[in-house]
Amino acid sequence: MKPVAFDIAAPASLAEAAALLAQPGAMAMAGGQSLGPMLNLRLARPELIVRLNAIPGLAGVAEDADAVTIGALVTHAAIADGRAPDPGMGVLARAAEGIAYRAVRNRGTIGGSLCHADPAADWPTVLTALGASVLTSSGRRIAMTDFIAGAFRTVLARGELVASVRIPRLPADAGWGYAKACRKPGEFAHAMAAALTDGARTRLVIGATGGKPVLLHDADATEQGARDAALAAGLDPVAAHIQSVMARRALQQASEGARA
Amino acid sequence: MSLVTLRVNGEDVRADIPPRTHLADFLREHRLLTGTHLGCEHGVCGACTLLIEGAPARSCIAYAAACDGASVTTIEGLEHDPVMEALRAAFTAEHALQCGYCTPGMLVTARDIVLRLPDADADRIRLELAGNLCRCTGYAGIVRAIQRVLREGVPAVPRTLTRLAPLGTLSRDEGEGLSPPPSPSPASREREGPVAVGDGRVRANEVRAGGNTELTQTLRLSLPPDQVWAALQDPALIASCIPGAAIASVQDGRIEGTMEAALGPMRARFAGAATVRYGTDRTGTIEGEGQDRASATRLSGSARFAVLPDGASGSVLEIVLAYILRGPLAQFARGAVVQDFAAEIAYLFARNLEARMQGRAAAPAASLGLFALLWRVLRRRLARLLGREP
Repeated sequence: MKPVAFDIAAPASLAEAAALLAQPGAMAMAGGQSLGPMLNLRLARPELIVRLNAIPGLAGVAEDADAVTIGALVTHAAIADGRAPDPGMGVLARAAEGIAYRAVRNRGTIGGSLCHADPAADWPTVLTALGASVLTSSGRRIAMTDFIAGAFRTVLARGELVASVRIPRLPADAGWGYAKACRKPGEFAHAMAAALTDGARTRLVIGATGGKPVLLHDADATEQGARDAALAAGLDPVAAHIQSVMARRALQQASEGARA
Repeated sequence: MSLVTLRVNGEDVRADIPPRTHLADFLREHRLLTGTHLGCEHGVCGACTLLIEGAPARSCIAYAAACDGASVTTIEGLEHDPVMEALRAAFTAEHALQCGYCTPGMLVTARDIVLRLPDADADRIRLELAGNLCRCTGYAGIVRAIQRVLREGVPAVPRTLTRLAPLGTLSRDEGEGLSPPPSPSPASREREGPVAVGDGRVRANEVRAGGNTELTQTLRLSLPPDQVWAALQDPALIASCIPGAAIASVQDGRIEGTMEAALGPMRARFAGAATVRYGTDRTGTIEGEGQDRASATRLSGSARFAVLPDGASGSVLEIVLAYILRGPLAQFARGAVVQDFAAEIAYLFARNLEARMQGRAAAPAASLGLFALLWRVLRRRLARLLGREP
């Protein structure tokens, strides 16, 4: 299908983009790999598309002693190929290479994926587990645990955009695990889990629940904890079971990594 | 209209096109480059895969105006590419195509595989091909063809065709000094605004049977059962309590109108009809269906309701919702997402009913927009996580 008729604007700065996005019916587009299908299916019916890929300075990376920073317009493919700095153990590259298909990874961006906030997307779950935060165009730093408000919703104000994502470096003794269940490689996941542990403390995040990623700590960061959280999030017993299996795999990968 | 400059197969092209024109349509309709095929037209099948800045991309979900200034290479532009020549020969030798519809996209993806993954084995090739659908070959011939090119040696291509521009460096003060976003939009004000929250109990038990999603809601009303039942005899009253609904007509228990829903970037406006039927023992059903014409999404469902006594003067309204969502929206509004909305709609229906029966006006449909709905959904999710009934 063809999208509804819309106008397109290509602002040269975040401030200009914010002004355009204040208009009713305006929608931001980064790589367009999630919005594109919704436009073509006429599920999204904007009056104005504000494309962000003409704004300079959003596709860069930076790093310091404590963290790596990834610009919002850095593509999944660039991360998968190791062209962005690694916070440790290649965690970002491992997550990125499992996102959709190569042709989609070449266009889709980390910032766009976060702002789209599809419950089944990889970055919200992975970056929540890694303790990342986003830096917005209005200078706010928002922890990932606070950033996703629900299915397809974030706490961004209208016109506010994600400029970059800051991911703390992993401790030297950390272990990492990530597992997701898809009916076909590249399809929307129907269960996923990411785990980060240093042997003593553990963070387990389950995603694709239909809402925001669910963060479980330490004693709750278990296979059973994941099942309980999935049931509490309203999933049926079968879906909750698949979530618990993903949690088990992620936790196992993480504990093996922490021991190594 | 939007003035677009692209470099297509090495040639500079300028065109004034509607911004909604996707790259594949632009190439096919305006440049007559019909080698790029369109299958699903929403980024799933891979038939339209071509190169943007040397990297494979879906041309059906890349809009030509959003690619302004980019270099685009179609299957026609790769006619004399040495890797593509080797792949074409291998596809022929290994019977890697039958009807040929997926082949342009397959070849572009295959070229990416042999250049990027010189050590790929059959499993890895199949994984990389997951984004290109073929309905004829079962992929066996395609996998063999790619293996043959890898085995016989991938011809060298100029570096300019392999694209690996380094990522830039973010400035230290990224994001600082920018003006703050405009003050809260009407949408966010609405979200923060007062949302009438009763203390009715909401219990949602999802049961899936034959594509139906079913959930049960039990809502306590501070009114006697007889009074609730008497009020429910008026279909117009029922209709006016459905959140997001605009009623066109009510006649003999048949309600016609529209119901609007929104979820993130998605919007749907279901136009249709519902029929109210009354049974014995204070029970009844509402059955209806509607279609969102713009997206060809169909929603059909029923609500069985029963009014039961609760204590001395209260009553319980039990609603069993069953619904099927078919079409594009169902791909994105998966399982638990829609369940929350359906539960919310039933909850708001009961609250509106209570308000109407106590002589207060139901909140107008417009203000029961999905921002309020979303806010309530979030609150309930939070409450569930904290182990409390909202």
